[in-house]
Amino acid sequence: MSNIEIYNGIFTEVFGVSADALGASFSKENNDQWDSVHQLSLVSLAEDRFDIMLDPEDILGFTSYEKGIEIIRNQGVEF
Amino acid sequence: MLLDLDKIEKERTAVLDSGGRSLVYGDIIRLGDTIRAAVSGRSLMFILTENNAGGVAWVMASILSGNVPLILNAHTDPELLANLCGIYRPQYICRPCGVVSSAETGNGETVAETFGYRLESTGNGPCGLHPELSHLLPTSGSTGSPKLVRHKYDNIEASALNISTFFRLTEQDRPLMVLPLYYTMGLSMVFSHLKAGATILITDLSMTDAGFWKFLKEEQATSFTGVPFSYEILDKMRFTRMKLPSLTLLTQGGGKMPPELNMKFAEYCRDNGKRWVATYGQSEGTARMAWLPEEYAISKAGSIGIAVPNGRLSLRDADGNEITGSPATGEMCYSGRNVTMGYATTRADLALGDERNGFLPTGDIAYRDEDGFYYIKGRMGRFLKIFGNRIGLDECEQIVRAAVTCECACTGSDDRLVVWLTDTGQADAAADALVRAVRLPANVIETRIIESLPRNEAGKTLYSKLN
Repeated sequence: MSNIEIYNGIFTEVFGVSADALGASFSKENNDQWDSVHQLSLVSLAEDRFDIMLDPEDILGFTSYEKGIEIIRNQGVEF
Repeated sequence: MLLDLDKIEKERTAVLDSGGRSLVYGDIIRLGDTIRAAVSGRSLMFILTENNAGGVAWVMASILSGNVPLILNAHTDPELLANLCGIYRPQYICRPCGVVSSAETGNGETVAETFGYRLESTGNGPCGLHPELSHLLPTSGSTGSPKLVRHKYDNIEASALNISTFFRLTEQDRPLMVLPLYYTMGLSMVFSHLKAGATILITDLSMTDAGFWKFLKEEQATSFTGVPFSYEILDKMRFTRMKLPSLTLLTQGGGKMPPELNMKFAEYCRDNGKRWVATYGQSEGTARMAWLPEEYAISKAGSIGIAVPNGRLSLRDADGNEITGSPATGEMCYSGRNVTMGYATTRADLALGDERNGFLPTGDIAYRDEDGFYYIKGRMGRFLKIFGNRIGLDECEQIVRAAVTCECACTGSDDRLVVWLTDTGQADAAADALVRAVRLPANVIETRIIESLPRNEAGKTLYSKLN
């Protein structure tokens, strides 16, 4: 599975949406389900699946589909 | 006056929110007068709250004004809200100005508007309300259960007294409140801190929002109250490495902490001159019924402690007889003035009196050790506590039943909600409906397919056979 597929899978698991709903507009701002429970679930799954460890700033910054990719990329994961 | 609020200096700040709004004690009392003048006699109101200064003002002032509010989340699913309106037919609905009225809940005339909320009349007729009835809370905030807990004025006084006593609250306190106002533990924080003349720091921000951390630090919160999940976030945010000298009390309720996490915070507090206090409560007991004094946080880790001041815990066996010796295991019961009057499932129930007389079987199975400390071992009732939210399994089943055409049942543990269905093809529909209504991450909801549901001769689902 490619990294983007793994990444999309995390969102599917947490939000119960299909991959075609994901993209630039999928963010905390546009999704009222996106609360701290969902955000921490995203972060924890991302840490597990990509074997990375995120800093508090990254956890706070993980507020959209695109920002998440940026944060994970900064940990040396290629998309 | 309730909680002796009129004895506190009027210009003292009662609430400060993360949006920069604040109110003084006098504002709450004046709003009570405004509401009393705006409505026609003691009325049933729905108050749809956000966690902000206006929310605290409206909740407290509606109670002070002699009206009876049902306190709800302003973002309750519209269908659930319409259902509640249909059952209870409130005479007034108060909502944040930014939240639009939906057709089902009426588009009445605005009778008062202030602190960011407006009160509308619905046109529903008067409601028989028991003279002691003070306010109502849903049994499960997240599923918007139509079953309500009936509280009386004396519950508010008792709960505020008990809690402010064991936390030793003073007017110097600045508690940080992230728990919702419509959640019993959040509301009890309001009662106990206002009684003490403290300044409540309230926020709607998620704990994973940078603004939350800014608010905590800038406003120099002196205490934090959370559910186990709140502490998972604090831990992830490397809380124990932060310099927060003002914050001297950390308290936890709303379910059992994972043992390692509990010990981590207990040790951190011990080593840094802070208090770590685990508590136990339920809406039926106006929040807290037990607390673990900080000096036992490590030696009795995992315990919910002892009864709160002025209360009494006991165990009873399957026949309903009290178990006097220790150690022992049985159903934990609580007696005290904070025990609520009972439930309501219809509008007529709001006229009912006290059905419990200060005694509450908690539905939790507890172990009491030789020193008299209690430990929760299991639950008799049909609900889960996921991320600190009480999830009623019967309500979940109703939500699923409305979304599918096959047979269904809900079970689970405190980290997982399991939906049993007899048709594979409807699993997505069931999960979607729950994700929308209950607002849980999809990955804590598991659907399992079964050929047919185990039932007894009367047709009742045999939940014990599902696992």
